Amino acid sequence: MSGLLQAFVDGLLNPLTTPAHALTLIALALLLARQPQRFVVLLIFALALAAGFLAIVLAVETTPARTVLLAVAAALGAMVAAAWTPKLLAWLLAAIAGAALALDSPPQAVTIADAYATLGGTTLGACAMLIVVAVIAGHAKADWQRLGVRIVGSWIAASAILVLAVQLR
Amino acid sequence: MRDHEHSNIAGLLGVALLAALVLASRPAVAHIVDGSATGGFLGGFAHPLFGLDHVVAMVAVGLWGAFLGPPAIWLLPITFPMVMAVGGAIAILGVPVPGVEIGIASSAIVLGGMIALAARPPLAIAALIVGAFAIFHGHAHGAELPPGTDAVAFSVGFVMATGLLHLAGIAFGLLTRWPAGRIGVRVAGVGITLVGAMFLSKAI
Repeated sequence: MSGLLQAFVDGLLNPLTTPAHALTLIALALLLARQPQRFVVLLIFALALAAGFLAIVLAVETTPARTVLLAVAAALGAMVAAAWTPKLLAWLLAAIAGAALALDSPPQAVTIADAYATLGGTTLGACAMLIVVAVIAGHAKADWQRLGVRIVGSWIAASAILVLAVQLR
Repeated sequence: MRDHEHSNIAGLLGVALLAALVLASRPAVAHIVDGSATGGFLGGFAHPLFGLDHVVAMVAVGLWGAFLGPPAIWLLPITFPMVMAVGGAIAILGVPVPGVEIGIASSAIVLGGMIALAARPPLAIAALIVGAFAIFHGHAHGAELPPGTDAVAFSVGFVMATGLLHLAGIAFGLLTRWPAGRIGVRVAGVGITLVGAMFLSKAI
């Protein structure tokens, strides 16, 4: 596999292989599935992701992005668990999640081209994961399925709270 | 209406128990705690399953929820993990909570007693009792978070195992639909109380 393709695949898999990223994306997707304007939330997330990557390109220094990401995951998980999905708060959290995920994904590539390939892969991987999980959760129509989604939300919130404590220790 | 709710919950429990079986099908490696996400998840998943006092109390939460019926049957498995996580966070941040082991043993005694007596307090009181004990359980596990593990994976595994124990309790608790099942569940409550008393005698 060429270096460029390898860098792209590394970026593509990043949201899946980094547990904090996967946790946040699943929580956001579960919330997305309950939103009437899913496309708007997805667009806000993608734009924030791009803005975060732009900040990396402009050489923004180390940020507490991981901690912010976990706080967002806890909030999103609690909202899913409570079946409380206010539109504006969902938009705000989608924006923070996108920017924080990007800032927590600095490419480790040697060349500029590889770095761009990694960033492109991460963007595609994160958006694809968000869409796939949201589509699956959107099919949860029966009472027990919706209850299952809420239970998963509570598990995500609980996990994120525990890890946040580890980060803040 | 009640039958419909029970069939919905039974469907959910079927999926959850299947997940539990799949996840628990690798006990030989469950004790591995390493820095990888897989090791962290397996270590976290195994953690709640190796403490009998924790296991019986978690099952008791589900059993009592099933005994109380809707909305407690779904409210408890949603709220318990989050309150427990707060207890875990308190421990991780180094804030001491006195009498944690006594609290855990007492949770089995009280929850088992509630089931044995078929107690049906108002939902707010039931939630308060369960929530208070969740702090003790969370604190005990938070204090034992192994260093060097993937914290996110460990926490996800730990929370999932706890949640699945609740769902196992709810599945058992659905037997209360039948008169013989109600007796069986109440007998299980007595057993849980006895296990709690055994641990309390050790803790004191």
